[in-house]
Amino acid sequence: MSCESKSFAPFLAVFLSRKTAFDDLRCVTASRELLYNPENVIHQRNHLPAAVAAVLLTASPLASQAPPAAPSPPKPQPALYRNLIVLDPAHGGRDKGAQLSASAAEKDVTLAFAQRLRPALVAQGFTVVSTRDSDPPDELETDQRAGMANHNRPLACIVLHAAPAGSGVHIVTSSLPASGPSAGRALTWNKAQAPAIAMSTRLANEVGLALDAAHLPVLMLRASVPPLDNLICPAIAVELAPLENTSKNATSAADTAYQQRAINAIAAGVASFRTHNAPPPTPAPAPRTGVAP
Amino acid sequence: MIPRYQRILFWSLVGCILLMGAFLLHGCREAHKRLTALNDATPLAAPTTAATEEVNLYLASDAEATIHSTRAQVALPQDPSLKARALVEHLLAQYALPDSTHPLQSGPSVDDIFLLADRTHQNSGGRITVNLHGSFADTHPSGIEVEQLTLDSIIGTLHAAFPEFTEVRFLVDGQTRETLAGHASLDRTYPLIDTTARPAAPSEAATQP
Repeated sequence: MSCESKSFAPFLAVFLSRKTAFDDLRCVTASRELLYNPENVIHQRNHLPAAVAAVLLTASPLASQAPPAAPSPPKPQPALYRNLIVLDPAHGGRDKGAQLSASAAEKDVTLAFAQRLRPALVAQGFTVVSTRDSDPPDELETDQRAGMANHNRPLACIVLHAAPAGSGVHIVTSSLPASGPSAGRALTWNKAQAPAIAMSTRLANEVGLALDAAHLPVLMLRASVPPLDNLICPAIAVELAPLENTSKNATSAADTAYQQRAINAIAAGVASFRTHNAPPPTPAPAPRTGVAP
Repeated sequence: MIPRYQRILFWSLVGCILLMGAFLLHGCREAHKRLTALNDATPLAAPTTAATEEVNLYLASDAEATIHSTRAQVALPQDPSLKARALVEHLLAQYALPDSTHPLQSGPSVDDIFLLADRTHQNSGGRITVNLHGSFADTHPSGIEVEQLTLDSIIGTLHAAFPEFTEVRFLVDGQTRETLAGHASLDRTYPLIDTTARPAAPSEAATQP
């Protein structure tokens, strides 16, 4: 099945195809060269792709064949919303995740962590969408989580986990090999993250530096954790592990004060990532008035 | 006439006896289930005289989140599939030792390992399929770091022993499974590479476009 269609060229369509008899790929049409909207799209520092996109958009068959009286085509949707973050508290429902202590299951800790992280991100000017705000009776499938995140086109997706062992905060990026942004218009569902690996690594380092500044031990890891590989946005998984103290008792990942320290650092790191990689759009210059012919 | 307090005491003791009996019965059933799960019913190859050979074991350390290579002398069968299985079982048995840096529960870990040579493409190597025992996955500690270290340890060890193979896939009890213990994905194919790794610290340079 081919996911290419020239008529979709000016639109920023992201759709998932059903499995077919010939391939079991889910296609994500996301022509990275064309994903550009000067108003609210993530702005690249290298403006060459933007110029190429502008030329392609202007020269697209749809634009050139449209009659002058016809209504203008719908406004293209942005590639990524620079103020939108998707949080994914892992597990939920029948899937309890790891048992952190006798009374704390991972699914409850990740949900509480997400609910505390949300206001911290809102305070930084982000709009936050969560894949779950409560404990659903049925667990969310990996594809549902990824589909929800991909549909929203956020600046970043943060998958939240907690672990009963280890030390400090683990920042995880996908272990897929990075691929170029112009590899093709169709992405394999299981490798949708590959073109965004570079951005995900930047995001992980920004959050890692912020955690380091907050004097929290950080481990940067690469792993294949659902649904990281299926996300088309910059994505990291944050795993809270117990915090070792000078005393023998380690602070559990369920500890509120520990979580708050991590939350403040994560919010600062994501805001820094936005500043460096998605600066606010510059307003268009005002038209000159009163110029004598 | 039996005093009332004695009757109450008698029936209380009878109740206690019944409760204790039920508790013991429940405990016996749970223990039986646990032992049955750990029972490895996989047929073993007939014992043969196998010479010991030097192999590279990629051992994980939870504290440092690292994989490091060590050499060990292990008696391995000649058949490649049996050799791969014995090698991975030996590797995972190291993690059940008391001083392990990546503690895992002891018990059967691998059901089968299949070496599938790809004869359709000359340049591409084959695939190794590791069929893990269900009890190994069920009792594996849960967490991104610990699960990924287990997979990386197996991948690195297999890569060192079978460099002609290029990818590995994991099954559990012959079925595909989404994750090992809730985190590390098992429904994808991993490249067989050297997994010796040390986690990098976050750096300012890596944040720049």
